[in-house]
Amino acid sequence: MTTASRSIGPLLQIQGLKTHFFTQDGTVRAVDGVSFQIGHAKTLGVVGESGCGKSITSLSVMRLIERPGKIVEGTIELNGEDLLEKSDEEMRDIRGDQVSMIFQEPMTSLNPVFTCGEQIAEAVRQHTAASHREAIDRAVEMLALVGIPDAKRRAREYPHQLSGGMRQRVMIAMALSTDPDLLIADEPTTALDVTIQAQILELMRDLREKNRMAIMLITHDLGVVAEMADEVVVMYSGKVVERGDVRTIFGNPHHPYTQGLLHSIPRLDERVGRLEVIKGTVPSPYNLPTGCLFKRRCPFRMPVCDVAPPMRQVGEGHTSRCWLTPAGEPPEVGTDPTPEEAEAAGEQVTVEPR
Amino acid sequence: MTTESQTDMSGDVTAPPQAGVQPMAAAPTNGRAPLLAVDDLVKHFDIRGGLMGVTKLGAVRAVDGVSFTVTEGETLGLVGESGCGKTTLGKVILRLIPPTSGSVTFEGKPLFQLNSRELKAARRDIQVVFQDPYASLNPRMSVGEIVGEGLYVHGMTNKREREAAVRDLLKRVGLNQQHIHRYPHEFSGGQRQRIGIARALALRPKFIVCDEPVSALDVSIQSQVLNLLSDLQDEFQLTYLFIAHNLAVVRHLSSRVGVMYLGKLVELAEADDLYENPRHPYTKALLSAIPIPDPTVRRERIVLKGDLPSPANPPSGCRFHTRCPMAQEICKIEEPPLRDIGGGHLSACHFAEDVTPLKERVVS
Repeated sequence: MTTASRSIGPLLQIQGLKTHFFTQDGTVRAVDGVSFQIGHAKTLGVVGESGCGKSITSLSVMRLIERPGKIVEGTIELNGEDLLEKSDEEMRDIRGDQVSMIFQEPMTSLNPVFTCGEQIAEAVRQHTAASHREAIDRAVEMLALVGIPDAKRRAREYPHQLSGGMRQRVMIAMALSTDPDLLIADEPTTALDVTIQAQILELMRDLREKNRMAIMLITHDLGVVAEMADEVVVMYSGKVVERGDVRTIFGNPHHPYTQGLLHSIPRLDERVGRLEVIKGTVPSPYNLPTGCLFKRRCPFRMPVCDVAPPMRQVGEGHTSRCWLTPAGEPPEVGTDPTPEEAEAAGEQVTVEPR
Repeated sequence: MTTESQTDMSGDVTAPPQAGVQPMAAAPTNGRAPLLAVDDLVKHFDIRGGLMGVTKLGAVRAVDGVSFTVTEGETLGLVGESGCGKTTLGKVILRLIPPTSGSVTFEGKPLFQLNSRELKAARRDIQVVFQDPYASLNPRMSVGEIVGEGLYVHGMTNKREREAAVRDLLKRVGLNQQHIHRYPHEFSGGQRQRIGIARALALRPKFIVCDEPVSALDVSIQSQVLNLLSDLQDEFQLTYLFIAHNLAVVRHLSSRVGVMYLGKLVELAEADDLYENPRHPYTKALLSAIPIPDPTVRRERIVLKGDLPSPANPPSGCRFHTRCPMAQEICKIEEPPLRDIGGGHLSACHFAEDVTPLKERVVS
């Protein structure tokens, strides 16, 4: 967090967000103290495995959390206004107008009984004074913009008449029809084939330039992140474990989980004999370890890991939730440190403000 | 060593070999006979409609004349996008669905002509690992029953003996032996896939069809399962047909890789050769479309126009010509045969020699 960016003010600022689910079997802390920000016209990649809380974070921004889930703490500021203080009516105007979302599976997000054109037109009419005719025209224009050939005819077709890539384009057209400042894309290409994914990513890049739109890109595909993102947030079991610009995260990852993720994917451009693995599995949300959430799987596990590490700065604009020193060395603490000792072990690095 | 000796056609095979298609050139086999030979395999699914749904309206040409061989001990990767026919091909080889025409020979035996007794024996040697570890395990059977069922069917009727064998299998695939009485829902996705692998291994097969074995798994679990598959290959001298859409995963495991497009094999080569020197414009586009997890590398990107044409009504000539950046007039008319363009590298493109490697640069 630099002072320069604060003077302009980020587009989206999430601070200490906690979204918990109160189930019969106990409380699931799906999102547990997440903070990050997205600058205007920037792309933030949110990376993590299933269950890490990345989708719940995005649904929290949209205020689409339903019972038994609840946002219990934190602030979500969009253009300086806290979304968590808005009424449902105000939120309905903000959704689509300032922030739009596209989902992984376009078939389940489109209404099967309305034509694609009508669905986009509905979004347009919701947020502008356009007449029905004008809204339909705008829908056709948007479909053409996202590269759907013969847009006029396609606007009269139903979602089932389109291919997966086409449907995802319709979703993007709908999301962009009201010119939002922020697009939340939750695994936008995961259900698509690679050649179609390439088309969609190119489209998103194009539109980002044209509309000066910020994107929060949620994905588990590190390749997509490397290609699209300016900054990266890595999540694990409801917490952000590392944050930095895309080159730092890929070139010099600090958190053992990030390192493990990067080393365990087979690469197209180089052949290795054996893949490195992250041992074990993601802990159950009902039975999280105390201290560091990653410690059971971590190759660097130390006694100090029984104390939950704070998010600390390990480089310029680079923070990590790990007790290792910025150089990646184990800190020198006793075998049974108090939280104060553990904290002091990282004294040469400053704890990031907030 | 060629596959011609295996092309004894059965009586029920109707389609003659396609004109213009050369018999598949042999893969480098190190002098060994192929374990599995697929010859001009065709699988069409009829589209029926009309009154009572009995009129044949057309056919989805899921697999349309595919030939290749798999050598003992190797892993043949098969890649392609959804709808290219790779899964159907796997199912036909396993005889889970009957072929329309063509033949598959396993250890010299024509698989489609075996009677039920011979087929049962052959199935000991040919096993499968499915994509979805949730759908492919019976939720009402315990792990012991799932893994031991094949053993029982093939004559290991002594319960204690079977349980010992299952425990041994669980250990080999990295599962806790104590979990033998648990049910599938008690396991995570990665563990379930290990159960599926243990089941496939139970009868000590020679050949395993792996159909997207890791695509339903999280990144950190994928690598565990991939390592397990390659360890087991060494331990049991397994031969794999590895079907997947993820080219990076396929490269990691495969010695040779075949690329499918709309029911056709369009390229087949040694893995490194295919990835560094693609000789079919579709393979090149497919490779270029994969994002590289390194923000400092920018690679040439070929964005294909449009969607995959319908396999019920494939384009004339070369099936890729509607989306191909190199297409010429001849591509619309004449179907290019899969031919050896040197060193066992097969490509079904009229202009295979003109396909250039992908450009890549490092940005600072």
